[in-house]
Amino acid sequence: MWQMRLALKYIIMTLIAIICIIPIVWMVTGSLRPYEELFQYSSSLNWHLFVPVKFTWVNYKNVIFNDTNPFLRYIWNTAIVAGSVTGIVLVVSALAAFAFAKLRFRGKSIFFALFMSAMIIPGEVTLVPNYLLMNNFGWVNSYASLIVPSALSVFGIFLLRQFFADIPNEILEAAKIDGASIMRVFLRIIVPAAVPALITLGLMTFLGNWDSYLWPLIVINDDKKQMLQVAIASFSSLAGTDWSKILAASTIATAPILILFLFLQRYYIQGITMSGVKG
Amino acid sequence: MARTELAPTISKRRKGNPFGRALRQEERTAWLFILPALAALLLFVFYPMVKAFLISFQNYNMVGGTRSFNGIDNYRTLMNDSEFLASLRHSLFFAVIVIPVQTAVSLGLAMLIQRARRFTGLFRTAYFIPVVISTSVAATVFKLIYSKDFGILNQVLKSIGLPITNFLSNPDTAMYGIIILGIWKAAGFFMIIFLAGLNNISQDLYEAARVDGAGRAQQFFRITLPMLNRTMAFVVIMTTIDAIKLAGLVFVLTNGGPNGSTQTVVYYIWKMAFQQMQMGYGTAAAFVLFAIVLIISLAQMTYFNKKADY
Repeated sequence: MWQMRLALKYIIMTLIAIICIIPIVWMVTGSLRPYEELFQYSSSLNWHLFVPVKFTWVNYKNVIFNDTNPFLRYIWNTAIVAGSVTGIVLVVSALAAFAFAKLRFRGKSIFFALFMSAMIIPGEVTLVPNYLLMNNFGWVNSYASLIVPSALSVFGIFLLRQFFADIPNEILEAAKIDGASIMRVFLRIIVPAAVPALITLGLMTFLGNWDSYLWPLIVINDDKKQMLQVAIASFSSLAGTDWSKILAASTIATAPILILFLFLQRYYIQGITMSGVKG
Repeated sequence: MARTELAPTISKRRKGNPFGRALRQEERTAWLFILPALAALLLFVFYPMVKAFLISFQNYNMVGGTRSFNGIDNYRTLMNDSEFLASLRHSLFFAVIVIPVQTAVSLGLAMLIQRARRFTGLFRTAYFIPVVISTSVAATVFKLIYSKDFGILNQVLKSIGLPITNFLSNPDTAMYGIIILGIWKAAGFFMIIFLAGLNNISQDLYEAARVDGAGRAQQFFRITLPMLNRTMAFVVIMTTIDAIKLAGLVFVLTNGGPNGSTQTVVYYIWKMAFQQMQMGYGTAAAFVLFAIVLIISLAQMTYFNKKADY
Protein backbone atom coordinates (compact mmCIF):
# COMPACT_ATOMS: atom_id res chain seq x y z
CA MET A 1 0.00 0.00 0.00
CA TRP A 2 2.72 2.41 1.04
CA GLN A 3 4.83 1.44 -1.93
CA MET A 4 1.90 1.76 -4.32
CA ARG A 5 1.39 5.26 -3.07
CA LEU A 6 5.01 6.17 -3.60
CA ALA A 7 4.99 4.70 -7.10
CA LEU A 8 1.85 6.67 -7.94
CA LYS A 9 3.50 9.80 -6.64
CA TYR A 10 6.51 9.26 -8.86
CA ILE A 11 4.30 8.65 -11.89
CA ILE A 12 2.45 11.92 -11.28
CA MET A 13 5.71 13.77 -10.73
CA THR A 14 7.10 12.38 -13.97
CA LEU A 15 4.00 13.32 -15.95
CA ILE A 16 4.18 16.89 -14.69
CA ALA A 17 7.88 17.02 -15.47
CA ILE A 18 7.08 15.92 -19.02
CA ILE A 19 4.50 18.68 -19.37
CA CYS A 20 7.07 21.21 -18.16
CA ILE A 21 9.85 20.03 -20.41
CA ILE A 22 8.13 18.87 -23.58
CA PRO A 23 7.56 22.27 -25.21
CA ILE A 24 11.25 22.97 -24.85
CA VAL A 25 12.27 19.56 -26.18
CA TRP A 26 9.89 20.03 -29.08
CA MET A 27 11.40 23.44 -29.76
CA VAL A 28 14.93 22.04 -29.87
CA THR A 29 14.14 18.97 -31.98
CA GLY A 30 11.89 20.98 -34.28
CA SER A 31 14.78 23.34 -34.96
CA LEU A 32 16.91 20.40 -36.09
CA ARG A 33 14.62 19.19 -38.86
CA PRO A 34 13.57 20.44 -42.29
CA TYR A 35 10.44 22.59 -42.50
CA GLU A 36 8.34 20.00 -44.36
CA GLU A 37 8.91 17.44 -41.67
CA LEU A 38 7.10 19.53 -39.07
CA PHE A 39 3.87 18.92 -40.99
CA GLN A 40 4.59 15.49 -42.41
CA TYR A 41 4.65 13.61 -39.14
CA SER A 42 2.05 15.59 -37.29
CA SER A 43 -1.04 13.70 -38.43
CA SER A 44 -0.88 11.28 -35.55
CA LEU A 45 0.93 10.70 -32.30
CA ASN A 46 4.15 9.02 -33.17
CA TRP A 47 7.80 8.92 -32.38
CA HIS A 48 8.71 11.27 -35.20
CA LEU A 49 6.66 14.04 -33.70
CA PHE A 50 9.80 14.64 -31.69
CA VAL A 51 12.67 12.81 -33.28
CA PRO A 52 13.82 14.27 -36.59
CA VAL A 53 13.86 11.88 -39.54
CA LYS A 54 16.30 13.97 -41.47
CA PHE A 55 18.60 15.69 -39.02
CA THR A 56 19.81 19.10 -40.24
CA TRP A 57 21.63 22.22 -39.10
CA VAL A 58 20.35 24.27 -41.99
CA ASN A 59 17.81 26.23 -39.93
CA TYR A 60 20.58 27.49 -37.70
CA LYS A 61 22.64 28.47 -40.70
CA ASN A 62 19.69 30.35 -42.14
CA VAL A 63 18.97 32.14 -38.92
CA ILE A 64 22.54 33.13 -38.13
CA PHE A 65 23.59 34.19 -41.63
CA ASN A 66 20.55 36.19 -42.49
CA ASP A 67 20.89 39.88 -43.21
CA THR A 68 17.28 40.84 -42.67
CA ASN A 69 17.09 39.09 -39.31
CA PRO A 70 20.57 39.02 -37.84
CA PHE A 71 19.90 36.95 -34.75
CA LEU A 72 23.44 36.81 -33.48
CA ARG A 73 23.36 40.57 -33.50
CA TYR A 74 20.17 40.68 -31.45
CA ILE A 75 21.71 38.31 -28.96
CA TRP A 76 24.81 40.47 -28.76
CA ASN A 77 22.70 43.64 -28.30
CA THR A 78 20.69 41.98 -25.56
CA ALA A 79 23.76 40.60 -23.81
CA ILE A 80 25.40 44.05 -23.82
CA VAL A 81 22.32 45.79 -22.44
CA ALA A 82 21.46 43.11 -19.88
CA GLY A 83 25.12 42.88 -18.82
CA SER A 84 25.46 46.65 -18.35
CA VAL A 85 22.22 46.90 -16.42
CA THR A 86 23.29 44.01 -14.18
CA GLY A 87 26.64 45.64 -13.41
CA ILE A 88 25.09 49.02 -12.63
CA VAL A 89 22.26 47.56 -10.57
CA LEU A 90 24.75 45.61 -8.46
CA VAL A 91 26.87 48.70 -7.69
CA VAL A 92 23.96 51.09 -7.07
CA SER A 93 22.00 48.60 -4.95
CA ALA A 94 25.01 47.46 -2.92
CA LEU A 95 26.01 51.01 -2.02
CA ALA A 96 22.51 52.01 -0.97
CA ALA A 97 21.87 48.72 0.83
CA PHE A 98 25.09 49.10 2.82
CA ALA A 99 24.11 52.61 3.91
CA PHE A 100 20.67 51.38 4.96
CA ALA A 101 22.02 48.32 6.76
CA LYS A 102 25.11 49.56 8.55
CA LEU A 103 25.49 53.33 8.48
CA ARG A 104 23.78 55.93 10.62
CA PHE A 105 22.29 59.05 9.10
CA ARG A 106 19.33 61.29 9.68
CA GLY A 107 16.07 60.32 8.00
CA LYS A 108 17.24 56.80 7.31
CA SER A 109 13.97 55.03 8.01
CA ILE A 110 12.00 57.65 6.09
CA PHE A 111 14.19 57.25 3.04
CA PHE A 112 14.07 53.48 3.25
CA ALA A 113 10.27 53.63 3.37
CA LEU A 114 10.36 55.95 0.38
CA PHE A 115 12.35 53.40 -1.60
CA MET A 116 10.09 50.54 -0.60
CA SER A 117 6.97 52.52 -1.49
CA ALA A 118 8.22 52.56 -5.09
CA MET A 119 7.52 48.81 -5.21
CA ILE A 120 3.79 49.44 -5.46
CA ILE A 121 4.08 51.82 -8.42
CA PRO A 122 3.55 49.71 -11.53
CA GLY A 123 5.82 50.45 -14.45
CA GLU A 124 2.78 50.67 -16.70
CA VAL A 125 1.73 53.95 -15.09
CA THR A 126 5.06 55.65 -15.67
CA LEU A 127 5.44 54.27 -19.20
CA VAL A 128 4.37 57.44 -21.01
CA PRO A 129 6.28 59.99 -18.87
CA ASN A 130 9.40 57.83 -18.98
CA TYR A 131 9.15 57.66 -22.74
CA LEU A 132 8.77 61.45 -22.91
CA LEU A 133 11.78 61.79 -20.62
CA MET A 134 13.86 59.58 -22.93
CA ASN A 135 12.62 61.69 -25.82
CA ASN A 136 13.77 64.88 -24.07
CA PHE A 137 17.18 63.38 -23.34
CA GLY A 138 17.45 62.38 -27.00
CA TRP A 139 17.83 58.76 -25.93
CA VAL A 140 15.11 57.22 -28.07
CA ASN A 141 16.69 54.52 -30.20
CA SER A 142 19.79 54.42 -28.02
CA TYR A 143 20.80 51.87 -25.43
CA ALA A 144 21.00 54.59 -22.80
CA SER A 145 17.20 54.47 -22.69
CA LEU A 146 17.33 50.76 -21.92
CA ILE A 147 20.19 50.92 -19.43
CA VAL A 148 19.93 54.12 -17.36
CA PRO A 149 16.29 53.92 -16.22
CA SER A 150 16.91 50.30 -15.17
CA ALA A 151 19.76 51.28 -12.86
CA LEU A 152 17.48 51.31 -9.85
CA SER A 153 16.29 48.02 -8.40
CA VAL A 154 14.25 48.60 -5.28
CA PHE A 155 13.99 44.85 -4.85
CA GLY A 156 17.79 44.63 -5.10
CA ILE A 157 18.28 47.19 -2.30
CA PHE A 158 15.80 45.29 -0.16
CA LEU A 159 17.46 41.93 -0.85
CA LEU A 160 21.04 43.10 -0.22
CA ARG A 161 20.10 45.02 2.91
CA GLN A 162 18.81 41.75 4.38
CA PHE A 163 22.13 40.05 3.66
CA PHE A 164 24.29 42.95 4.85
CA ALA A 165 22.38 43.24 8.11
CA ASP A 166 23.36 39.64 8.92
CA ILE A 167 27.08 40.40 8.74
CA PRO A 168 28.25 40.70 12.36
CA ASN A 169 29.18 44.19 13.51
CA GLU A 170 32.18 42.94 15.47
CA ILE A 171 34.05 42.39 12.23
CA LEU A 172 33.27 45.90 11.02
CA GLU A 173 34.24 47.43 14.34
CA ALA A 174 37.53 45.59 14.36
CA ALA A 175 38.30 47.01 10.94
CA LYS A 176 37.34 50.48 12.12
CA ILE A 177 39.68 50.23 15.07
CA ASP A 178 42.46 49.31 12.66
CA GLY A 179 41.74 52.61 10.96
CA ALA A 180 39.94 51.39 7.84
CA SER A 181 37.71 53.92 6.09
CA ILE A 182 34.04 53.20 5.49
CA MET A 183 34.69 52.67 1.80
CA ARG A 184 37.41 50.19 2.65
CA VAL A 185 35.14 48.32 5.04
CA PHE A 186 32.56 48.16 2.27
CA LEU A 187 34.96 46.88 -0.37
CA ARG A 188 37.07 44.55 1.75
CA ILE A 189 34.54 43.10 4.19
CA ILE A 190 30.96 43.64 3.09
CA VAL A 191 31.27 42.90 -0.62
CA PRO A 192 33.29 39.66 -0.26
CA ALA A 193 30.95 38.41 2.45
CA ALA A 194 27.91 39.05 0.27
CA VAL A 195 29.09 37.33 -2.92
CA PRO A 196 26.23 34.78 -2.92
CA ALA A 197 23.69 37.57 -2.52
CA LEU A 198 25.32 39.54 -5.31
CA ILE A 199 25.23 36.52 -7.62
CA THR A 200 21.55 36.06 -6.77
CA LEU A 201 20.68 39.65 -7.56
CA GLY A 202 22.90 39.67 -10.64
CA LEU A 203 21.29 36.55 -12.04
CA MET A 204 17.76 37.79 -11.42
CA THR A 205 18.55 41.17 -12.97
CA PHE A 206 20.22 39.64 -16.00
CA LEU A 207 17.39 37.21 -16.68
CA GLY A 208 14.80 39.93 -16.13
CA ASN A 209 16.49 42.15 -18.70
CA TRP A 210 17.05 39.32 -21.12
CA ASP A 211 13.28 38.86 -20.97
CA SER A 212 12.23 42.50 -21.27
CA TYR A 213 9.83 43.18 -24.10
CA LEU A 214 7.48 46.13 -23.67
CA TRP A 215 10.04 48.87 -22.92
CA PRO A 216 12.41 48.00 -25.83
CA LEU A 217 9.38 47.75 -28.09
CA ILE A 218 8.56 51.35 -27.20
CA VAL A 219 11.97 53.06 -27.15
CA ILE A 220 13.87 51.18 -29.88
CA ASN A 221 12.66 51.60 -33.45
CA ASP A 222 15.82 50.82 -35.35
CA ASP A 223 15.70 47.15 -36.39
CA LYS A 224 19.44 46.69 -36.17
CA LYS A 225 19.45 47.82 -32.56
CA GLN A 226 16.48 45.76 -31.49
CA MET A 227 16.43 43.48 -28.46
CA LEU A 228 16.09 39.73 -28.76
CA GLN A 229 12.57 39.32 -27.38
CA VAL A 230 11.08 41.94 -29.67
CA ALA A 231 12.94 40.43 -32.62
CA ILE A 232 11.63 36.93 -31.94
CA ALA A 233 8.10 38.21 -31.42
CA SER A 234 8.08 40.15 -34.67
CA PHE A 235 9.79 37.29 -36.50
CA SER A 236 7.09 34.89 -35.34
CA SER A 237 4.23 37.17 -36.35
CA LEU A 238 5.40 37.54 -39.96
CA ALA A 239 2.98 35.83 -42.30
CA GLY A 240 4.26 32.70 -43.99
CA THR A 241 7.31 32.42 -41.82
CA ASP A 242 9.39 29.32 -41.86
CA TRP A 243 8.50 27.85 -38.48
CA SER A 244 11.51 25.61 -38.12
CA LYS A 245 13.66 28.71 -38.51
CA ILE A 246 11.74 30.39 -35.72
CA LEU A 247 12.33 27.35 -33.56
CA ALA A 248 16.04 27.60 -34.31
CA ALA A 249 16.06 31.28 -33.35
CA SER A 250 14.17 30.52 -30.14
CA THR A 251 16.61 27.76 -29.28
CA ILE A 252 19.58 30.09 -29.79
CA ALA A 253 17.89 32.68 -27.59
CA THR A 254 17.16 30.18 -24.86
CA ALA A 255 20.43 28.26 -24.71
CA PRO A 256 22.56 30.91 -22.93
CA ILE A 257 20.09 31.62 -20.14
CA LEU A 258 19.24 27.98 -19.67
CA ILE A 259 22.91 27.12 -19.22
CA LEU A 260 23.41 30.09 -16.91
CA PHE A 261 20.42 28.97 -14.88
CA LEU A 262 21.41 25.32 -14.63
CA PHE A 263 24.79 26.28 -13.23
CA LEU A 264 23.61 28.99 -10.86
CA GLN A 265 20.16 27.65 -10.02
CA ARG A 266 20.91 27.49 -6.29
CA TYR A 267 21.41 31.26 -6.12
CA TYR A 268 18.33 32.05 -8.13
CA ILE A 269 16.13 29.87 -5.97
CA GLN A 270 17.62 31.41 -2.85
CA GLY A 271 16.70 34.86 -4.14
CA ILE A 272 13.09 33.90 -4.74
CA THR A 273 12.90 32.24 -1.34
CA MET A 274 14.11 35.41 0.37
CA SER A 275 11.64 37.60 -1.45
CA GLY A 276 8.82 35.33 -0.34
CA VAL A 277 9.69 34.54 3.23
CA LYS A 278 11.06 37.81 4.46
CA GLY A 279 9.07 40.04 2.15
CA MET B 1 18.21 48.34 14.41
CA ALA B 2 20.54 50.24 16.72
CA ARG B 3 22.84 47.32 17.35
CA THR B 4 23.65 47.01 13.68
CA GLU B 5 25.31 50.40 13.54
CA LEU B 6 28.90 51.40 13.66
CA ALA B 7 28.57 54.92 14.91
CA PRO B 8 28.15 54.45 18.67
CA THR B 9 31.46 52.68 19.05
CA ILE B 10 33.22 55.23 16.92
CA SER B 11 31.93 58.14 18.90
CA LYS B 12 32.80 56.39 22.13
CA ARG B 13 36.36 56.07 20.99
CA ARG B 14 36.42 59.77 20.21
CA LYS B 15 35.21 60.45 23.76
CA GLY B 16 33.25 63.31 22.27
CA ASN B 17 29.58 64.02 21.88
CA PRO B 18 27.56 61.68 19.63
CA PHE B 19 27.67 64.23 16.80
CA GLY B 20 31.42 64.17 16.58
CA ARG B 21 33.51 64.24 13.47
CA ALA B 22 33.37 60.50 12.84
CA LEU B 23 29.61 60.52 12.89
CA ARG B 24 29.41 63.52 10.58
CA GLN B 25 31.75 61.77 8.22
CA GLU B 26 29.71 58.59 8.42
CA GLU B 27 26.57 60.54 7.61
CA ARG B 28 28.26 62.17 4.63
CA THR B 29 29.42 58.80 3.33
CA ALA B 30 25.97 57.35 3.80
CA TRP B 31 24.50 60.12 1.68
CA LEU B 32 27.06 59.53 -1.03
CA PHE B 33 26.22 55.84 -0.98
CA ILE B 34 22.48 56.27 -1.41
CA LEU B 35 22.81 59.18 -3.81
CA PRO B 36 22.85 57.20 -7.11
CA ALA B 37 19.86 55.11 -6.07
CA LEU B 38 18.03 58.16 -4.77
CA ALA B 39 18.64 60.10 -7.98
CA ALA B 40 17.28 57.21 -10.06
CA LEU B 41 14.31 56.88 -7.72
CA LEU B 42 13.38 60.52 -8.07
CA LEU B 43 14.07 60.79 -11.80
CA PHE B 44 12.62 57.51 -13.05
CA VAL B 45 9.90 56.70 -10.54
CA PHE B 46 8.57 59.67 -8.57
CA TYR B 47 8.93 62.39 -11.16
CA PRO B 48 7.25 60.23 -13.86
CA MET B 49 4.53 59.32 -11.39
CA VAL B 50 3.69 62.98 -10.78
CA LYS B 51 4.03 63.74 -14.49
CA ALA B 52 1.75 60.80 -15.34
CA PHE B 53 -0.86 62.15 -12.97
CA LEU B 54 -0.77 65.52 -14.74
CA ILE B 55 -0.78 64.00 -18.22
CA SER B 56 -3.82 61.93 -17.38
CA PHE B 57 -5.81 65.19 -17.21
CA GLN B 58 -4.59 66.35 -20.60
CA ASN B 59 -5.36 65.77 -24.20
CA TYR B 60 -1.80 64.86 -25.08
CA ASN B 61 -1.03 63.81 -28.62
CA MET B 62 2.59 63.06 -29.50
CA VAL B 63 2.19 63.17 -33.26
CA GLY B 64 0.06 66.26 -33.55
CA GLY B 65 2.19 67.92 -30.89
CA THR B 66 -0.95 69.11 -29.20
CA ARG B 67 -1.54 69.16 -25.50
CA SER B 68 -4.31 70.81 -23.63
CA PHE B 69 -5.82 70.47 -20.20
CA ASN B 70 -9.18 68.81 -20.36
CA GLY B 71 -10.01 68.09 -16.74
CA ILE B 72 -11.51 64.72 -15.99
CA ASP B 73 -12.65 64.19 -19.58
CA ASN B 74 -10.24 61.29 -20.09
CA TYR B 75 -11.56 59.48 -17.05
CA ARG B 76 -15.16 60.21 -17.97
CA THR B 77 -14.66 58.90 -21.50
CA LEU B 78 -12.92 55.78 -20.16
CA MET B 79 -15.95 54.89 -18.05
CA ASN B 80 -18.02 54.74 -21.24
CA ASP B 81 -15.34 53.28 -23.50
CA SER B 82 -16.61 49.80 -24.27
CA GLU B 83 -13.23 48.67 -25.58
CA PHE B 84 -11.52 49.71 -22.34
CA LEU B 85 -14.18 48.09 -20.20
CA ALA B 86 -13.89 44.91 -22.27
CA SER B 87 -10.12 44.89 -21.79
CA LEU B 88 -10.67 45.28 -18.07
CA ARG B 89 -13.06 42.33 -18.15
CA HIS B 90 -10.52 40.21 -20.02
CA SER B 91 -7.79 40.97 -17.48
CA LEU B 92 -10.08 40.23 -14.57
CA PHE B 93 -11.28 37.00 -16.19
CA PHE B 94 -7.67 35.91 -16.60
CA ALA B 95 -6.98 36.79 -12.97
CA VAL B 96 -10.07 35.05 -11.60
CA ILE B 97 -9.10 31.77 -13.26
CA VAL B 98 -5.35 31.99 -12.80
CA ILE B 99 -5.28 32.97 -9.10
CA PRO B 100 -6.94 29.83 -7.68
CA VAL B 101 -5.69 27.36 -10.30
CA GLN B 102 -2.09 28.51 -10.36
CA THR B 103 -1.89 28.81 -6.58
CA ALA B 104 -3.27 25.28 -6.17
CA VAL B 105 -0.88 23.92 -8.79
CA SER B 106 2.15 25.63 -7.23
CA LEU B 107 1.26 24.40 -3.75
CA GLY B 108 0.69 20.91 -5.11
CA LEU B 109 4.07 20.90 -6.84
CA ALA B 110 5.78 22.16 -3.69
CA MET B 111 4.19 19.40 -1.61
CA LEU B 112 5.14 16.76 -4.17
CA ILE B 113 8.82 17.62 -4.01
CA GLN B 114 9.07 18.84 -0.43
CA ARG B 115 10.44 15.68 1.12
CA ALA B 116 13.91 14.98 -0.13
CA ARG B 117 13.82 11.61 -1.82
CA ARG B 118 15.63 10.29 -4.79
CA PHE B 119 15.45 12.63 -7.81
CA THR B 120 13.46 15.34 -6.05
CA GLY B 121 16.18 17.86 -6.97
CA LEU B 122 15.85 16.85 -10.58
CA PHE B 123 12.08 17.24 -10.49
CA ARG B 124 12.39 20.65 -8.88
CA THR B 125 14.67 21.77 -11.69
CA ALA B 126 12.27 20.40 -14.29
CA TYR B 127 9.30 22.22 -12.76
CA PHE B 128 11.25 25.42 -12.56
CA ILE B 129 12.62 25.48 -16.11
CA PRO B 130 9.52 27.13 -17.67
CA VAL B 131 10.16 30.14 -15.40
CA VAL B 132 13.49 30.93 -17.04
CA ILE B 133 12.19 30.50 -20.59
CA SER B 134 11.65 34.03 -21.82
CA THR B 135 8.17 35.32 -22.57
CA SER B 136 8.53 35.66 -26.34
CA VAL B 137 10.13 32.26 -26.76
CA ALA B 138 7.51 30.54 -24.61
CA ALA B 139 4.68 32.31 -26.40
CA THR B 140 6.14 31.55 -29.82
CA VAL B 141 6.57 27.87 -29.05
CA PHE B 142 3.07 27.61 -27.61
CA LYS B 143 1.66 29.34 -30.65
CA LEU B 144 3.07 26.48 -32.68
CA ILE B 145 1.96 23.86 -30.18
CA TYR B 146 -1.62 25.19 -30.39
CA SER B 147 -1.51 25.30 -34.19
CA LYS B 148 -4.20 23.23 -35.86
CA ASP B 149 -1.96 22.08 -38.70
CA PHE B 150 0.98 20.65 -36.90
CA GLY B 151 0.75 21.50 -33.21
CA ILE B 152 1.29 18.65 -30.81
CA LEU B 153 -1.58 19.67 -28.54
CA ASN B 154 -4.19 18.71 -31.10
CA GLN B 155 -2.47 15.38 -31.69
CA VAL B 156 -2.73 14.64 -28.00
CA LEU B 157 -6.39 15.71 -27.92
CA LYS B 158 -7.16 13.60 -30.97
CA SER B 159 -5.43 10.53 -29.60
CA ILE B 160 -7.54 10.60 -26.45
CA GLY B 161 -10.70 11.13 -28.49
CA LEU B 162 -11.30 14.83 -27.93
CA PRO B 163 -12.29 17.24 -30.72
CA ILE B 164 -9.46 19.24 -32.21
CA THR B 165 -9.55 23.01 -32.32
CA ASN B 166 -7.28 25.91 -32.89
CA PHE B 167 -7.45 27.49 -29.49
CA LEU B 168 -6.11 30.83 -30.53
CA SER B 169 -8.27 31.58 -33.56
CA ASN B 170 -11.53 31.11 -31.71
CA PRO B 171 -12.59 34.16 -29.63
CA ASP B 172 -14.27 31.89 -27.09
CA THR B 173 -11.19 29.83 -26.33
CA ALA B 174 -8.25 32.12 -27.07
CA MET B 175 -8.04 33.36 -23.49
CA TYR B 176 -7.80 29.78 -22.23
CA GLY B 177 -4.79 29.33 -24.50
CA ILE B 178 -3.15 32.27 -22.75
CA ILE B 179 -4.20 31.01 -19.32
CA ILE B 180 -2.61 27.59 -19.92
CA LEU B 181 0.63 29.17 -21.04
CA GLY B 182 0.56 31.63 -18.14
CA ILE B 183 0.22 28.86 -15.58
CA TRP B 184 2.80 26.67 -17.31
CA LYS B 185 5.28 29.51 -17.12
CA ALA B 186 4.66 30.87 -13.61
CA ALA B 187 3.72 27.88 -11.42
CA GLY B 188 7.36 26.91 -10.82
CA PHE B 189 8.18 30.32 -9.42
CA PHE B 190 5.50 30.20 -6.75
CA MET B 191 6.30 26.55 -6.09
CA ILE B 192 9.70 27.71 -4.79
CA ILE B 193 8.04 30.23 -2.47
CA PHE B 194 5.60 27.61 -1.15
CA LEU B 195 8.50 25.22 -0.70
CA ALA B 196 10.23 27.71 1.58
CA GLY B 197 6.99 28.20 3.49
CA LEU B 198 6.47 24.45 3.89
CA ASN B 199 10.00 23.97 5.15
CA ASN B 200 9.34 26.53 7.88
CA ILE B 201 6.55 24.46 9.38
CA SER B 202 7.81 22.42 12.29
CA GLN B 203 7.59 18.66 11.76
CA ASP B 204 6.60 18.33 15.45
CA LEU B 205 3.16 19.65 14.58
CA TYR B 206 2.55 16.83 12.13
CA GLU B 207 3.99 14.35 14.59
CA ALA B 208 1.56 15.50 17.27
CA ALA B 209 -1.33 15.40 14.80
CA ARG B 210 -0.49 11.84 13.80
CA VAL B 211 -0.37 10.78 17.42
CA ASP B 212 -3.84 12.26 17.81
CA GLY B 213 -4.95 10.20 14.82
CA ALA B 214 -5.38 12.99 12.26
CA GLY B 215 -5.56 11.84 8.65
CA ARG B 216 -3.68 13.40 5.75
CA ALA B 217 -6.54 15.65 4.73
CA GLN B 218 -6.97 16.86 8.27
CA GLN B 219 -3.26 17.57 8.59
CA PHE B 220 -3.41 19.59 5.39
CA PHE B 221 -6.41 21.70 6.40
CA ARG B 222 -5.59 22.03 10.11
CA ILE B 223 -1.83 22.48 9.98
CA THR B 224 -0.41 23.11 6.53
CA LEU B 225 -2.87 25.72 5.29
CA PRO B 226 -3.09 27.78 8.50
CA MET B 227 0.69 27.71 8.96
CA LEU B 228 1.14 28.84 5.36
CA ASN B 229 -1.04 31.91 5.86
CA ARG B 230 1.78 34.44 5.38
CA THR B 231 3.21 32.64 2.36
CA MET B 232 -0.25 32.24 0.90
CA ALA B 233 -0.90 35.96 1.31
CA PHE B 234 2.31 36.80 -0.54
CA VAL B 235 1.63 34.33 -3.35
CA VAL B 236 -2.00 35.37 -3.85
CA ILE B 237 -1.22 39.09 -3.84
CA MET B 238 1.73 38.71 -6.22
CA THR B 239 -0.27 36.46 -8.55
CA THR B 240 -3.14 38.92 -8.58
CA ILE B 241 -0.91 41.87 -9.45
CA ASP B 242 0.88 39.94 -12.20
CA ALA B 243 -2.38 38.58 -13.59
CA ILE B 244 -4.15 41.91 -13.81
CA LYS B 245 -1.08 43.42 -15.49
CA LEU B 246 -0.88 40.61 -18.05
CA ALA B 247 0.49 41.83 -21.39
CA GLY B 248 3.70 40.18 -22.61
CA LEU B 249 2.17 36.82 -23.49
CA VAL B 250 -0.72 38.52 -25.26
CA PHE B 251 1.57 40.54 -27.50
CA VAL B 252 3.22 37.46 -28.92
CA LEU B 253 0.52 34.82 -28.68
CA THR B 254 -2.54 36.62 -30.05
CA ASN B 255 -1.80 40.32 -30.44
CA GLY B 256 -5.06 41.02 -28.64
CA GLY B 257 -7.11 39.02 -31.14
CA PRO B 258 -9.08 37.28 -32.39
CA ASN B 259 -11.66 39.99 -32.48
CA GLY B 260 -10.19 41.77 -29.47
CA SER B 261 -11.09 38.83 -27.25
CA THR B 262 -7.68 38.71 -25.54
CA GLN B 263 -7.01 42.41 -25.34
CA THR B 264 -5.98 43.08 -21.74
CA VAL B 265 -5.76 46.41 -19.92
CA VAL B 266 -2.03 46.84 -20.29
CA TYR B 267 -2.27 45.91 -23.96
CA TYR B 268 -4.98 48.53 -24.36
CA ILE B 269 -2.87 51.15 -22.55
CA TRP B 270 0.03 50.44 -24.88
CA LYS B 271 -2.23 50.58 -27.93
CA MET B 272 -3.75 53.90 -26.92
CA ALA B 273 -0.52 55.58 -25.84
CA PHE B 274 1.93 54.28 -28.41
CA GLN B 275 -0.11 53.14 -31.40
CA GLN B 276 -2.76 55.83 -31.47
CA MET B 277 -0.44 58.25 -29.67
CA GLN B 278 -3.17 59.40 -27.29
CA MET B 279 -0.83 59.61 -24.36
CA GLY B 280 -3.11 61.45 -21.98
CA TYR B 281 -5.90 58.97 -22.52
CA GLY B 282 -3.58 55.96 -22.21
CA THR B 283 -2.10 57.30 -18.99
CA ALA B 284 -5.53 57.89 -17.52
CA ALA B 285 -6.31 54.24 -18.28
CA ALA B 286 -3.06 53.30 -16.52
CA PHE B 287 -4.15 55.21 -13.42
CA VAL B 288 -7.48 53.42 -13.38
CA LEU B 289 -5.54 50.15 -13.55
CA PHE B 290 -3.26 51.31 -10.72
CA ALA B 291 -6.26 52.16 -8.55
CA ILE B 292 -7.85 48.78 -9.21
CA VAL B 293 -4.66 46.88 -8.41
CA LEU B 294 -4.15 48.90 -5.24
CA ILE B 295 -7.71 48.38 -3.99
CA ILE B 296 -7.63 44.64 -4.66
CA SER B 297 -4.21 44.25 -3.01
CA LEU B 298 -5.32 46.19 0.08
CA ALA B 299 -8.50 44.12 0.33
CA GLN B 300 -6.47 40.92 0.10
CA MET B 301 -4.00 42.14 2.73
CA THR B 302 -6.83 42.97 5.11
CA TYR B 303 -8.36 39.56 4.54
CA PHE B 304 -5.15 37.66 5.23
CA ASN B 305 -4.33 39.81 8.27
CA LYS B 306 -7.74 39.13 9.73
CA LYS B 307 -7.26 35.42 9.20
CA ALA B 308 -3.90 35.60 10.98
CA ASP B 309 -5.63 36.86 14.13
CA TYR B 310 -7.21 33.50 14.87
